[in-house]
Amino acid sequence: MRKFFRPREYFKPETLEEALNLLAKYGESARPIAGGTDLLVKKPPEVEYLIDIASLPLDYIKNDGEYLKIGSLSTFHSIETSSLFKEGAYRILAESAHDFGQATVKNMATIGGNVCSAVPSADFPPVLMVLDAKAKIVSLAGERIVSMEEFFAGVRKTVLRSDELLVEFQIPKPPPHTGAAFYKLGRTSVDIALVNAAARITLRSDGVCEDARIALGAVAPTPIRAKGAEKLLRKKEIDEALVEEASQTASEETKPISDVRSSAEYRKEMSKVLVKRVLQKSLKRAKGE
Amino acid sequence: MIKLNVNGEIHEVRVKPYWTLLRVLRNELGLTGAKLGCGRGECGACTVLMDGKPILSCLTLAARAEGKKIVTIEGLAEGLKLHPLQEAFIKNGAIQCGFCTSGMILSAKALLDRNLNPTEEEVREALSGNLCRCTGYVKPVKAVLEAAEIMRKGGSR
Repeated sequence: MRKFFRPREYFKPETLEEALNLLAKYGESARPIAGGTDLLVKKPPEVEYLIDIASLPLDYIKNDGEYLKIGSLSTFHSIETSSLFKEGAYRILAESAHDFGQATVKNMATIGGNVCSAVPSADFPPVLMVLDAKAKIVSLAGERIVSMEEFFAGVRKTVLRSDELLVEFQIPKPPPHTGAAFYKLGRTSVDIALVNAAARITLRSDGVCEDARIALGAVAPTPIRAKGAEKLLRKKEIDEALVEEASQTASEETKPISDVRSSAEYRKEMSKVLVKRVLQKSLKRAKGE
Repeated sequence: MIKLNVNGEIHEVRVKPYWTLLRVLRNELGLTGAKLGCGRGECGACTVLMDGKPILSCLTLAARAEGKKIVTIEGLAEGLKLHPLQEAFIKNGAIQCGFCTSGMILSAKALLDRNLNPTEEEVREALSGNLCRCTGYVKPVKAVLEAAEIMRKGGSR
């Protein structure tokens, strides 16, 4: 195998079909490129064919009433500035996109790329997980829908086959009295997350918690749901003590590593703090405060 | 062979599939205003405008830029007449070594093109991808705010 990133051919398909044909033809030796902010940093030497998918019509945000549909080539800039995400539970899409990184990278990086590169510290997967998002994946063989929880297979690994493309995220309409929040801890707001967390809480009209979802990034090989903590909150009236308990439980559900950015102990402790903050904020928002 | 529209001029360039826009600008077209700093999207020294938006030319394939309008720092002045942002950077001493300057000015231009009345916070955010290792950001931010004021009052562009 070569040592350097020296793809021999570059394609710029205009249609999805063309792109899928190229992926099917070249298999593992081909790699789709969207924003390029991950691929051209990593420069994988095994790539022989670059399939530039930026011209495909996958940069859109639509709301058909039942589902919010976001094309996988939407940039963080489009998400951040979309008028559809000014209020309600969808607000965390814009908020997390705002915190994603520096202005230049937000103009380039796509949400599909952020998810498909499957970096454990990525900001968007926890957000999509609490919003119960599904990924629409297509290939010449047809299409399939995969939930965000089933999508990640490990560090930089997903269930995506080499002939498939992730084309769309589908987010079901959140029920009334739903609030969501995202929090990222990094050295600076534009840096990679040391830990990130997202939560979504739905209340019944009597104030009891109907549903709770908590997801964390950078604390395990893949983004994770804190299901034990979620269970503690469901069907209960949430107060400070319960938030505290759920945060502790969520922290115990993490399996962080120590690396150059921070230690495992620190990540575990901060998971607790972040979950507490996103739960408090989600709760407030669910109550309409 | 690709055609690139850089500062309003069309250039035909023979490129390899993995050549970045930065490499083509600097090595093939001789436009050395955009700098190679980190080469991995951290520093912003390679910032250019693509269809009006600041992007990192070190992480953009040259072939991707075909059909887009690229603006580099060389495209800002009209003859000997500098852009108000360039004037303001000089006047405010917002340049030391100059390595980050072209990127900073282009990020600032993209901001002022859509918002001529930015807050300091908005300026800082627009410059968030342009790292300065000499001195800091106080003077560049001041320069951008001053250029905005001059442009609001009808100073050229």
